[in-house]
Amino acid sequence: MKGTHLGEFQEIVLLTIMVLNENAYGVSIKREIKSRADRAISRGALHTALSRMEDKGLIKSWQGEANKERGGMPKRYYEVTNKGIAALKDAKDIRDQLWNEVPKLRLQHNYA
Amino acid sequence: MTHKRQQPPSFYSKLFEWFCKENVHDELQGDLEEEFNINYRTQGKTHAHRIYKREVIKMLRPSVIKKFKSQRHYNHTAMFRNYSIVALRSLMRNKLFSSINIIGLSVSMAVGLLAITFVSEIYSYDNFHKNGSRIYRVTSDISRDNQGTTFYATSSILTGIRYSQEFSSAEKVAPIFRGMSGDLTLEETVISIKGIYSNNDFFDIFTFPLLYGNPETALSEPYTVVLTEDLAMRLFGKTDVVGEVLEYSTKDQLTITGVAKNPPRNSHLQFDAIGALQTLVVRNSSVATNWRSHTASYLYILVPDGQKLDRIQSDLNQLAQQENAKVKGYTITPGLEAMNDIFPGRPRSNQFGTVMPSKNVNSIMVLALIVILAACFNYTNLSIARSIKRSKEVGVRKVVGARRFQLISQFMIEAIMVSLLALVIAFFLFKLIKPGFLTLNFYVSRTTSLELTIQVYFYFLAFAILVGALAGLLPASMMSKLKPVSILKGVSSVISGKGIGLQKVLTAIQFTLSMGFFILVTLVSKQYRYALNYDLGFSTENVLNVSVNGNDHQLLINAFQQFPEVTGISTSTMLPSVGSSQYAFAKADDPSDSVITYTFNVDEAYLSNMGHELIAGNDFTKGSSDGKVVVNEMFLKQLNLGTPIEALNKQITYFQKDWTIIGVVKDFNARMVNEPMAPFIFRSGEFRPSYINLRLATNDITNTMSKVSEAWTKIDPNHDLEAMFYSDEIERAYSEVSSSVKTYGLLAGVAISISILGLLGMAVYTTEIRLKELTIRKVLGATISNLVLLLSKSFLAIFIISAAIAIPAAYYMFQQTIMAESVNRISIGFWELSGGALLIIAIAFFTISSQTLKAAKSNPAENLRNE
Repeated sequence: MKGTHLGEFQEIVLLTIMVLNENAYGVSIKREIKSRADRAISRGALHTALSRMEDKGLIKSWQGEANKERGGMPKRYYEVTNKGIAALKDAKDIRDQLWNEVPKLRLQHNYA
Repeated sequence: MTHKRQQPPSFYSKLFEWFCKENVHDELQGDLEEEFNINYRTQGKTHAHRIYKREVIKMLRPSVIKKFKSQRHYNHTAMFRNYSIVALRSLMRNKLFSSINIIGLSVSMAVGLLAITFVSEIYSYDNFHKNGSRIYRVTSDISRDNQGTTFYATSSILTGIRYSQEFSSAEKVAPIFRGMSGDLTLEETVISIKGIYSNNDFFDIFTFPLLYGNPETALSEPYTVVLTEDLAMRLFGKTDVVGEVLEYSTKDQLTITGVAKNPPRNSHLQFDAIGALQTLVVRNSSVATNWRSHTASYLYILVPDGQKLDRIQSDLNQLAQQENAKVKGYTITPGLEAMNDIFPGRPRSNQFGTVMPSKNVNSIMVLALIVILAACFNYTNLSIARSIKRSKEVGVRKVVGARRFQLISQFMIEAIMVSLLALVIAFFLFKLIKPGFLTLNFYVSRTTSLELTIQVYFYFLAFAILVGALAGLLPASMMSKLKPVSILKGVSSVISGKGIGLQKVLTAIQFTLSMGFFILVTLVSKQYRYALNYDLGFSTENVLNVSVNGNDHQLLINAFQQFPEVTGISTSTMLPSVGSSQYAFAKADDPSDSVITYTFNVDEAYLSNMGHELIAGNDFTKGSSDGKVVVNEMFLKQLNLGTPIEALNKQITYFQKDWTIIGVVKDFNARMVNEPMAPFIFRSGEFRPSYINLRLATNDITNTMSKVSEAWTKIDPNHDLEAMFYSDEIERAYSEVSSSVKTYGLLAGVAISISILGLLGMAVYTTEIRLKELTIRKVLGATISNLVLLLSKSFLAIFIISAAIAIPAAYYMFQQTIMAESVNRISIGFWELSGGALLIIAIAFFTISSQTLKAAKSNPAENLRNE
């Protein structure tokens, strides 16, 4: 895992950024998470996650355009780095493996 | 996007900008604003604002908050230790200044502690009710024809009953009738109680928990009663007494349905027992059915959550309108008063128990504040005076790198240390003056105990720190402003320029206060003595008034008559000149206007026993006094009945009855001295006396009193003897004036001692600084009186200005507050006004010259030798 263990929330944020592709900035990330996971998060909490992941090199960011509605303040767009994608993959692999190991019988039993 | 941009709440934006890291602020703020605008469009203004605020608050996290740098790198503990050591050293070095400061502060802080304890106790009243903020009392402003409006704390029970039945705007409605006074009897035990009547809602509105019994049903049935724990213990010796039966006033059998906890001391509602209101209803008592019967009944309601008061008010108005229409010349306007505004509150008639007027509380706070400020001025003055000696220290500290903030905190800490030391002394002084304060007036003695709680101790500490900070603020900011270069160069009078002006102003304020309080004391105490010695027109000396208290007065009279000391004995329904009065309109045959006439009933011995001078006609005679009255001269004058002789045998109408005038007495003042003489009618005939007036001729008062008391106990073992000498009775009636004398006396004492102490400090300081100058003058031939004058000159101007402000101010205060409603006033002459000022100036001069003389008398060689 090489020290890039992802928290659950971080994982969601990373995936959301990837989903949003070119248009990932604070407000859009928040809204996407709200609409997909029905999870209301505060901008502050999102900032904490983003800044931590940027420190770890999982994402990078650049300053975007400003508009009137934002009081003239520029946006900051986020993009997942290769390292970030690798970390996501690692996380997914671990889960897939674990899912595969769960006995079929038990799964059926539970879903039935 | 072409939407109009909306501005988010600016306070929160500013707050965010203030605590947010600069490098991320633009991004986050932009996001917040964008989201705010979206929310504004989709969810409306209120929601958008709320979300924005919540988001900003949630930004308070380490990843967003910037590092506040200031003084993070200083070694606090070491510096504070150093400050305290330096402060202690400078306290020790200037023992005189330190003790002046500490004593002055402690004297005024004692007054401050008193005010804190008092105010915190007063404001703790009624704070234990869980629903406190929703409890309201319905008050009545009653206007009678030609008599103006009286503001009552009461409401008729009828209002309560009708309101709860016909309207639904209040959640709970509890009428209270304060008329359950009488004796409760259980076999041999008889206890007289002061109880109330109410209904079950009483327990829902107030937090008076029941130990036994069900609050839902306890007061449902007539002839049921809920006792307090205390009363149950006194009657039964136990508290679990539900179901027992008691006899009330030898008539009713009351079943006990509950036992309540004693009402806390800080409740304005006090009672021994609660009877079911239903009792009054089944008895068909007029108290419960008469709209005008409101003298001792109250109405408390519980307002539902979120309910507007307007609705309740309009319901009450509607009810009042219907009832007012039935009565002529009598209008009741209901009002709502929040529970928190009852005690302390605005003065209303017929309060439930004694209610501290908020006026009194406020004036005590203001006066305490004034005294404390005066003491702070001393500290400020002396510190500034001393600052020249410490300017080198400041200079060195600055050169070594102290910031201004640090210097300020250093001097503040010093001041706070002084005030904490003063707190210790103040605490003992407080204990000393506490008993005196508790007997200040009946408002205080009936409502406060000045108990010290942990909370109050905490207030004391906070108060001391605040006082220290206040006193230290000016010197600290002045000293820290000094420029190191000029200090270290040795310019001696760096501060003096600014400092002296300020010192003079502060000293002037102190002396104005001292003189003002002193003059007030002089005036008020003169008025008080005047009132006590005022010639009322009858003789009050050696008269002992015994309250009959419902007994057979003839039995008592027979018993008292046995004593040889009793030279005269009479009975009356009231005592004149001590504040209570009964009056009605009287008319003569002559169709002139009716006049308000005061009255009470007396027996045939009263007039001669009390030394009333009969100027025409006859006294009452036993058995033939019905329909006859004795009046005073003022009555004749106001009703145009001619001379006393002419007035005899004329008819008058009073209390809807006809009366014949059989005698005229000399004018006397039946009301308080501050009110004018008024028309008066003595009535006689059949009546139930409330007082027996004994005229005594004895040198051994204690012996006589014990005899009277013994005779009383034989006749009525259940009640204590209530007897009071007339002069004491009068003194009690003027207790408000006497409490002003005490208050202003204390304040004058404190203010004078503080300002004289301060002056002493200043005088010591001035002579010390100018010692060389004085010595040189002396060597060159100045006389001692020259020198004293030289030093006193600057103070003299201060005194004159102070007196010029204090005298008119005190005079104005006296006229406006104490004398505002008084008719019989003292004459105020030159000495009353300026005597106090002159005395204080004399003391002040003595203080100054004591120091100057010392300097002037010393050997010049000693003072000039060392340079």
